[in-house]
Amino acid sequence: MIRTLILCFAGLLLFTETTLAQSASINGYIKDSSSGETLISANIALLDINKGTSSNTSGYFSITNIAPGEYILVCTYIGYNTFQKTVTLKPNENLRLDVELIPASQELEEIIVTSEAEKEKAKEIGVAQIGTALIKELPSVFQADVFRSIQLLPGVKAASDFSSGLYIRGGSPDQTLILLDETTVYNPSHFFGFFSTFNPDAIKDVRLYKGGYPAEFGGRLGSVLSIYNKDGNRNETHGSLTLGMLSSRASLEGPYKYGSWSLAVRRSTLEPLLAALRKTSDNIPSSFYFYDMNGKINFDAGKDDKFGLSFYTGKDAVSFPFADDAEFNLNYGNQTVSGNWKHIFNEQLFSSFVVTGSRYFNFPTFELGGTPFERDNNIYDFSVKGDLEYLLNDKHTIETGVWGGVMTLILKDRFDNEDSFISRIQANYASLYIQDTWRPTDRWKLTYGTRLNYFSDGDYLRPEPRVSLEYKPAERVRLQAAYGRYNQFLTLISNEAFSGFDVWLTADEGIKPAFGDQFVLGAKTIPFKDYGLDVELYYRTMNDLFELDPFIQDVSGLPYSEIFRIGSGDAYGAEVFFEKRAGDFTGFIGYTYSYTWRRFPFYNNEIENPNGSGRSYPPKYDRRNDINLVMSYQLSKRWKATTSFNYATGQAYTEPLGRYSLNNPVWDNQVYDTIVSGKINASRLPAYHRVDVSFSRYGTFFGLGEAEWQFQIVNLLSRRNVWFYTYDFDENPIKKEAVYLLPLLPTISYTVKF
Amino acid sequence: MKSLFLYFSFSLLLVVGGCDLYPQDDYKEYYVVESYLVADMELPALYLSTTAPVSSEYNFDDTAISAAIVEVRLLQAGIGSPVEQTFTYQLDSPGVFVSTVAHNVLPTRTYQLHITIPSTGEEIIGHTVVPDSFTAANTVPNSVEYQSENQIEVVIPASNSDARQNYFIFTTLALEPAVDNFTPVYADFYDPEDGDDLSDFSTLSSGIVSEGNFEKNNNGTVTLKYPWLAVAFYGETKIVTNIIDENIYDFLRSQSVQLGGSSISPGEIPNVIYNIDGGIGVFGSIAADTIQINITRPAGF
Repeated sequence: MIRTLILCFAGLLLFTETTLAQSASINGYIKDSSSGETLISANIALLDINKGTSSNTSGYFSITNIAPGEYILVCTYIGYNTFQKTVTLKPNENLRLDVELIPASQELEEIIVTSEAEKEKAKEIGVAQIGTALIKELPSVFQADVFRSIQLLPGVKAASDFSSGLYIRGGSPDQTLILLDETTVYNPSHFFGFFSTFNPDAIKDVRLYKGGYPAEFGGRLGSVLSIYNKDGNRNETHGSLTLGMLSSRASLEGPYKYGSWSLAVRRSTLEPLLAALRKTSDNIPSSFYFYDMNGKINFDAGKDDKFGLSFYTGKDAVSFPFADDAEFNLNYGNQTVSGNWKHIFNEQLFSSFVVTGSRYFNFPTFELGGTPFERDNNIYDFSVKGDLEYLLNDKHTIETGVWGGVMTLILKDRFDNEDSFISRIQANYASLYIQDTWRPTDRWKLTYGTRLNYFSDGDYLRPEPRVSLEYKPAERVRLQAAYGRYNQFLTLISNEAFSGFDVWLTADEGIKPAFGDQFVLGAKTIPFKDYGLDVELYYRTMNDLFELDPFIQDVSGLPYSEIFRIGSGDAYGAEVFFEKRAGDFTGFIGYTYSYTWRRFPFYNNEIENPNGSGRSYPPKYDRRNDINLVMSYQLSKRWKATTSFNYATGQAYTEPLGRYSLNNPVWDNQVYDTIVSGKINASRLPAYHRVDVSFSRYGTFFGLGEAEWQFQIVNLLSRRNVWFYTYDFDENPIKKEAVYLLPLLPTISYTVKF
Repeated sequence: MKSLFLYFSFSLLLVVGGCDLYPQDDYKEYYVVESYLVADMELPALYLSTTAPVSSEYNFDDTAISAAIVEVRLLQAGIGSPVEQTFTYQLDSPGVFVSTVAHNVLPTRTYQLHITIPSTGEEIIGHTVVPDSFTAANTVPNSVEYQSENQIEVVIPASNSDARQNYFIFTTLALEPAVDNFTPVYADFYDPEDGDDLSDFSTLSSGIVSEGNFEKNNNGTVTLKYPWLAVAFYGETKIVTNIIDENIYDFLRSQSVQLGGSSISPGEIPNVIYNIDGGIGVFGSIAADTIQINITRPAGF
């Protein structure tokens, strides 16, 4: 595979030399003028000839095959003033131009954001972006959170108020590939799933490929969430300090002789609260904390070479002596490191090479009455990745790349000081992709390609064709369609209520990788200035879904292939996204109408037909209607209000129909109260709705820097949304009791920037 | 044109609002059987009843079925083979049937339950393959100190089936249950104000434990280490090692996840796995061996 890549690469270089004939070109990076951060998906165009492109994930752009002459170059990006410059291109000139965009809100007085970017903004099908500024502004439980902000987008659902897991277009959280600086993150959660691990202070860009994602990515059935850390300010040193109720965070960034650096740290600050609670209540953990740290350093070796090294480390630790001679301890977390080299070979060929390392661990121990249970769960994933982006001519852009690595999954269980389960899986994986974006006319764009995946456990080689088509019938309307085949070699064993014990397992001999097809239709429109209206329809299949058999309580002694159940599923729906992008008043409304189904053999059968192939059923997170409204209003120079409202059809649950008891077991004196169900998840919880509000007051901190007070109320109407029902068999008849989601929660935080 | 509009409007209404593609089932009544054969022990009683709607009060007597013809049949060689011997049952009390013939359950043999409801002609049929009987191959000491390094061990034959390992349930019967005899963790759990009774702790069972958890010996035996977790009281204690058949295994592993505790989302309640035609419940079997040991209080406890 490496040899193939080298051949492709050499071919591209050779071809490059032969096509550099007469025309001129412009290339460079698009950056924020104040921080020097590169901007992803900024639009740049030569107005006179209506020729343009957008910056890639490195902030790089290149426009080739331009006839010599004088042009007006325009560059736009949401939240920035439009950049405009006259450029003169001579025959065969390759103009290197790094564009610096000035933030529209750089000065506090200029609160009106004016941008024309929406005119040019090319939104790919299935892609959603959410700005870090909005993540920080949105009302949130105790602290700003990336995943909870993403959950507001159409097509993305939360399992509950207590879970930051992403359920995207009918997929479970393990069907979303989560990348931090191109490194896979396996358990992106703190507080056992309540928050995501990503510190908004450290993040530059959040990009979600909800479905139909391009050949560049692979390894998951559903979607990709790609998050990039900040490079760090290349002009001057800045920092911020935020004090919050659950956690506090600090960040620092700045330039140095050869580039920039950034460091962001976050830690929970629960110790005083826990100490106070322990004085009045039992069953309070003796210690609990989480922390995370993001860092990045960039080395600009030259105008064509940039190197970067970034890392993340985070951990949650709890110690809970819940009775005499009984204690529960848990440590879990992630560590990632990635080093990248971005090289511009010439104005036609851009490259990115990345070396990544990722570790996920959890170490629960549980000791009760002298009997210990211990688990060591580690994932180590080391990979090398190379991507090339080649502008063949003004009609074709070819992208190709390779990604290969070694993944080691170690799971050891010990019960009563004896090994009860040991699994050590070392799998090699590799993938190669190539895709061409062909623009035959200004109105049509066809992206087609394929990705070839190899997974050593079971020796699986899986091709994945991908294609997307875009047609622009009018200046402000884009019609889009996409199809893709996707494979997944991993499965996550988790529980939506608690992610601290997450375990990943792989396909193997006898356990085929899951695969699925996705079909997406979309329309992206700009009905009025500053507004956007997007509609997408999707249908996706999921086959050979392998997940831990929920009826196996003890996997010891079972062959690996027998601990799974193998099923299938499908999901379909429609999403509408209407947004106002600029001005004092911004926001969006997202609506999703969707169906999600799963099917496993022998599961959800009629009692009379226990050996049936299993009836399809909706998973708990299936929601028919889901509406999210997010509004942000700049009340004055110093005050800003943000609110979010969510209404959703109640989640699916199983309503018990009958009951009986087995009263006479010979091994026990327990009564086995048993429920007789009908169809699984055929009933619906009451509809969910929640209103959150946030007010920000901007000012200064004794003249030393900018300051922000943030006052937030989650669940302003104190709606008692139901999480699930429990059934109390001590009552006769059985008493049905609701377990509720979050009550009204006020929070406050204070941030100082210097 | 108008009718087309109406058609589309109606279709949209069905899709968006009214059309339920997955309606809930109605409650249906099932016959419930309960009987557990124990290797080398006399045929047990059989309990026959029906389910009750979840919203109504439930007790066994109200749902007991007494008008039934109950037989347990010993088969010659596994399921589908001819009947070797039939044991008829008679009504002992409402819904409770006992064998009219004395018969000790034979290890490794297959028994069939056959129930006929005369009024409707309905049949309820189940099978169980009785686990092989066993006895501890090691000498168990008379006493052992709680949480000492000398953990209680029982050596028994390993499963002789390549396809299925043994599944155990350990049962602890405290012969001297008293508040003063509680081990520390159970002393902390015991809350009489919350309605706890000593009898709630005097018999404890472990849940399903796979044979794969334990060390296999070269001589074809397996050494079972008895976890201290299962000891609630100091003093004389009977420890029963039960090997359960497939029917009890399926019932316990599926019943225990109905109200959570596995990877299933909260609120998703699957039905229990049953191996009975014409009804639900358990017609299962076990093999068991009991040891007795005095568990002494360590110094300082």
